[in-house]
Amino acid sequence: MVLNMTAHAERLDATFAALADPTRRAILARLAKGEATVMELAAPFAISQPAISKHLKVLERAGLIARGRDAQRRPCKLVPGPLRAVDAWIERYRELWEQSFEALDGVLEDLKAEERAAVRKEKPR
Amino acid sequence: MSKLQITTDVPNEIKLTRTFDAPKRLVLRAMTEPALIARWMGNSCSPIASVDVDFRVGGSYRYVFRNQDGSEFAFTGVYREIGDGRIVHTERFNDAPDESLVTTTLVEHAGVTTMTAVMRFSSQAIRDMVIGTGMERGAAESYDNLAALVASL
Repeated sequence: MVLNMTAHAERLDATFAALADPTRRAILARLAKGEATVMELAAPFAISQPAISKHLKVLERAGLIARGRDAQRRPCKLVPGPLRAVDAWIERYRELWEQSFEALDGVLEDLKAEERAAVRKEKPR
Repeated sequence: MSKLQITTDVPNEIKLTRTFDAPKRLVLRAMTEPALIARWMGNSCSPIASVDVDFRVGGSYRYVFRNQDGSEFAFTGVYREIGDGRIVHTERFNDAPDESLVTTTLVEHAGVTTMTAVMRFSSQAIRDMVIGTGMERGAAESYDNLAALVASL
């Protein structure tokens, strides 16, 4: 499973680090709609193409995007794998607690019954 | 509908709210006594394998869960503050890069206890991932849902 393998943990670490920047998240959101060139990606931002290229390198190292081979355009593409790992990680977390709290309801019913039984013992008729 | 309410009014926080039909003292016992914790924490996919709790300020806890394939994962942390109906502890999932600070309050009214757990993350980005994907239940498979996930970050 994703949850306890060191290699996966390291990859998650790189994914989290890459996602920690708002510009990089915006780039990923744009690429989720389809591939784009560096120029197209830079257009909505008030930063230079070299700055965008730096962000793309971080995303590429984290395995979140891939670059095309076309020397002129080198279009960027989203790679869904690492985000799926993050998604699965979080989904497991939420499900775990939701189901745990349901079981806690049952434990609390047992504790209440124990208390009632203890009270009855203390006060025999 | 889930009884577990999730709200996100503060940018880097998640607030979980859940009511329990029991007095505060019992909810507190169930959440802090290892033998009781072992009876409710975990689910069928990931039952709890071990519980270590040193319930005092500065004391640590470790919950280990075992998946069906035999692999394990853990939540670990340290109790920072213990008051009447208020517990503050850190929480780390496995060796995740981010540690959250969890403040749990228990308020009893007419025999019903409302638990509020505020999880504070180091950044809004990580908080948003927790929430954005949590709402996309079971969405991990399709590329369309993945696009929605990324757009929500």
